Amino acid sequence: MSEIAENAPATAQGGAPAAQELSGRPPSPFRRLLRDKVAVAAGIFLILVVLAAIFAPFLAPADPYDNNIRARLKPPGDEYILGTDTQGRDMVTRLLYGTRTTLLIGFTAVLLGGAIGAAMGIFAAFYRRLDNLLMRIVDILLSFPSILFGLAIAAVLGPGVDTLIAALTISSIPSVARVTRGAATVVMQQDFMEAGRAVGVRQTTLIWRYLALNCLSTILVFMTLQFGQMILLGAALSFLGLGAQPPTAELGTMAAEGRGFLSFRPHVATIPSVVIFMIVLAANLLGDAMRDVLDPRMRQ
Amino acid sequence: MGRHIVHRSLISIPVLFGVLAIGFMLLQVIPTDPATVLAGPTASPQEIESIRESMGLNEPIVYQFLLYLSRVLQGDLGRSFISNTPVAQELGTAIGPTVELMVASLIWAVPLGIMLGTFAATMRGSIVDRAVVALSVAGVSMPIFWFGLILIQYVGTEWNLLPYLGRAGPLWTVDGLRSIALPAITLGGIFVGPVARMTRTAVLEVLGADYVRTARAKGVYEGRVVIRHALRNALIPIVTLVGLQVGFLLGGAVVTETIFAWPGVGRLAVGAIISSDFPLAQGAILVLAISFIVVNLIVDLTYAMLDPRIRKA
Amino acid sequence: MKNTAATGIAAVLAATLLAGAAQAETTVVVARQIDTDRYDPHISTARSTAEIMFMAGDTLVTLDYDMKTIRPGLAESWTVSDDGKTYTFKLKQGVTFCSGKPFTAADAKASIDRWLAHPKGVTKGRAGPVDELTAIDDHTLEYKLKDPYSELLYQMTQHNHTIINIDQVNELGEDFGVKAFDGTGPFCLDSWEPRNQVVLVKHEGYSWGPPFYDNAAPQVDKVIWKVVPEEGTRVASVKTNQVDVTQYIPYWAIPEFRAAPNISVSQAEAYFWTQYVGFKITRDNVSDEKVRVALNLAVDQKALAESIYFGLAEPAYSYISPKVLDFNEKLDTSNFQYDPDKANAMLDEAGWKLGSDGIREKDGKKLTLRTYGFAGTLNRDMLEAMQGDMRKVGADMQIEMHDATVIWGLLAKQDFDMYAMSYPYVSTGDALNLYFRSENRPTPNRMNWADDQTDAWLAEANSALTDEARAMTLAKLQTQVHDAAVWIPIVHEPLFITTGPKLKPVRAHGIYGAGLYKGLGLAPK
Repeated sequence: MSEIAENAPATAQGGAPAAQELSGRPPSPFRRLLRDKVAVAAGIFLILVVLAAIFAPFLAPADPYDNNIRARLKPPGDEYILGTDTQGRDMVTRLLYGTRTTLLIGFTAVLLGGAIGAAMGIFAAFYRRLDNLLMRIVDILLSFPSILFGLAIAAVLGPGVDTLIAALTISSIPSVARVTRGAATVVMQQDFMEAGRAVGVRQTTLIWRYLALNCLSTILVFMTLQFGQMILLGAALSFLGLGAQPPTAELGTMAAEGRGFLSFRPHVATIPSVVIFMIVLAANLLGDAMRDVLDPRMRQ
Repeated sequence: MGRHIVHRSLISIPVLFGVLAIGFMLLQVIPTDPATVLAGPTASPQEIESIRESMGLNEPIVYQFLLYLSRVLQGDLGRSFISNTPVAQELGTAIGPTVELMVASLIWAVPLGIMLGTFAATMRGSIVDRAVVALSVAGVSMPIFWFGLILIQYVGTEWNLLPYLGRAGPLWTVDGLRSIALPAITLGGIFVGPVARMTRTAVLEVLGADYVRTARAKGVYEGRVVIRHALRNALIPIVTLVGLQVGFLLGGAVVTETIFAWPGVGRLAVGAIISSDFPLAQGAILVLAISFIVVNLIVDLTYAMLDPRIRKA
Repeated sequence: MKNTAATGIAAVLAATLLAGAAQAETTVVVARQIDTDRYDPHISTARSTAEIMFMAGDTLVTLDYDMKTIRPGLAESWTVSDDGKTYTFKLKQGVTFCSGKPFTAADAKASIDRWLAHPKGVTKGRAGPVDELTAIDDHTLEYKLKDPYSELLYQMTQHNHTIINIDQVNELGEDFGVKAFDGTGPFCLDSWEPRNQVVLVKHEGYSWGPPFYDNAAPQVDKVIWKVVPEEGTRVASVKTNQVDVTQYIPYWAIPEFRAAPNISVSQAEAYFWTQYVGFKITRDNVSDEKVRVALNLAVDQKALAESIYFGLAEPAYSYISPKVLDFNEKLDTSNFQYDPDKANAMLDEAGWKLGSDGIREKDGKKLTLRTYGFAGTLNRDMLEAMQGDMRKVGADMQIEMHDATVIWGLLAKQDFDMYAMSYPYVSTGDALNLYFRSENRPTPNRMNWADDQTDAWLAEANSALTDEARAMTLAKLQTQVHDAAVWIPIVHEPLFITTGPKLKPVRAHGIYGAGLYKGLGLAPK
């Protein structure tokens, strides 16, 4: 039973296991996350970005859809802090609204795809009979590179935000499922699972309390990283012309709009690209920090 | 081991079938009517109808699928609507450049990633570790098209060091090598990060494991601990990752091929789907899927070879 | 030390010279934006097809740089009968196809016959109302029309009139223009990798180029037409001399290239390529002429020309360029001037009331305009800017951008209110015949303009025996279609060609937007 005490509930937030309390009460994972300066910075940045996105209509200095082509492609300067885009729209305003759209797409896709994928992975690991079927479905899904999914879905639905969300959701399912299954398979091989079975723990408890919770760190980390990847994939799809349609402000589309002017007015493509980069970077850094804190084996 | 190979290969068959079915279905629901495209902009409705008839587009869908399957099994992927060349031939010329690009990207990105990851893990918390982590995180966070365009802008244009206008020849020629350099740096560049971070994580995980602790306690030399025990065990997740990322890599290849005008399958597939080149799109998807299945098979087998527990089973 | 250095330099020089001598073959890399579906002059109207046809093939007559003067091509001279119905061409001697087959009048006849008989043959109107073609002898062709067609010679310079080797057509069938193409042009089609490149090699022995070129024979050995879809990449590749010649340069880069010491920029002196947005006038929301005029007044062409086209294109207030043959100088262009206030007033008057969301409504229907456009940076920027103009008068323009290869099929389905298009033409008659004939519905008459008076005037202009008579009739016709506001003219586009340091500056030709025309201007320095 000592194995269970050491491993199983360690990831549950706040539920510090008895064995650890005896060994001198380490701080909660959240507290430990707070000690990581990079993670805190990334977290604060993400919170600010989300707030900026939510309150974009109140923060934006201009109308995101009011084009003024005579002022197009103005470099950053006094009149426009970050310059103007290909339609002469204020970059700051476009960025605020663009982030709003991009985050919405990314969150929706990752949450939907992550939930479905994680469930598939856990069931595949737990019910060995389902494993083959589920993993073959995953294989089939994975056999379509995400970009082809995007193209195919765009061909069916027409390009747009819905298309991006659908394409990103579907393409995030299989990898989450695989990673979850991988993690769950390792957990399944641990003695405490067998021990749990042996002492007659109920199946739902085994799946959710023992298996899922032990995989949670992996899933969360992967989803955080996946979030970044999905935003990148969305940008790539926009690059191929399948993103949000004009005049919708969306970071990937904005970068794509400016790419024709990269050597002429680099700010148009660069600024949204940098924002994409920073959001993805923050998500990745946070994901890393979460992994370090949440995974008990990483703790020294 | 032999049984494992046969078993794994057999399992691939239904996957392949599923891929064919999905590819077929996806393109069935596309609103663009292939007969209209084939007939051209000046065709009358009667002409379009007769083309529909001759293409079998008026037959029941199941029949169309079976027809498609039987043709595919005979190696006949149809003819491209656009160029009228056999799809198999178009794909045949495109697959080489794509494989070249992938190999040229992986050949430096994977070893570099593993190296960086291992260094970082063994020197956990040091400045090296931080640098590698920062670099790899920055690498994974970079939009690939932006990376490619920056390379073109600086390495290609301002410094005029390398060409970026498609494939100038096979890999073993100087021109060929020069022309693949920037695409391979772009595509490989987005791959170093994931490999490095996964390696680092995997090695760290293994370094914390009991048997490593035991080895250390027994006084085994640290380098030997890292290579013999940690890295070897860590290779399993790394191999899985590389296998998993082949789809991701293909996606990256599509963008890379587009930016660098690289005549590969990715560019072909995108072009085909965008231009409603029905047979070519189906063929390209099939080829991409089959190559994925093959890679996946290889990954599984490598996995089995590396992991003694699976090898025995 | 000095001595060694000097020897070293001498050795390097010698080596360079030797290498130069051994490398006497000149290859020219031309960058283009898109490829075409097939290299067959009779079933493709694409500019990408024309570019190759002009180089790999020849036409009986050619067009000078001024886009007005007809010059000899494969025909060294010609006569027109008094009734304007019979054209007799005297063909050049000693002309051969790339395959070596000698060119005769029978080939010219077979080419036109095949075009007109082909079920997928395009723009057959360009051949005129053909009665019969007869090869009088090997070097005399009689081109007989049912009715006079005063535009025939202009039309005969177009790529659809390219002479092909009919034996090859019969041999290759469906593969003609895909696997191979045999013409009499200065260059021969060596290979084609669709969406990647077309390789042309010098046609040995070619010496029958048109007189407006300095050289009647090709001066370079190989021309590689490379597809480079990315705009930024094309610009960069010109800068680094990876591309020797291209006309597919975004406007923003033109000033920079004009200033660059080793790159020459040539602008076609006469070039007729107009960007417009057409209305499908049978759709409910744009069937009212008042609405179409109002939407025209909403668009600020001048601002578009100055900002989107960087001041290099000319704002268009007519469907055709004022510089083209038979343009009506007295045309009333007030429908096309920028006046958003008047536009708003006219829309109010037409019964379209402003809704709470800023979009106008009538009978519960919103004023939405489904608009198709070709994918591409410039087009997208232009349409988005127009979208902004439209929003200011309460019209919701919904843009759908499609790839060049798929949009033709979508356009043929006719499910749009507006479509953005740019098109080349040689004369007023050419432009109006193409778009406003009722029999040309739905393609290319995508507006579905059907008017008996228009058809009658077109017929009258086509069969006019004098230039004056034709111009008079076409003037009336221009007034009619402009008053109906079936298009929103945007700009008349310029054509630029950049040439890198390896070659003599290429002079841009305006024909069909294929600036290199026969490729005889490509010559090493």
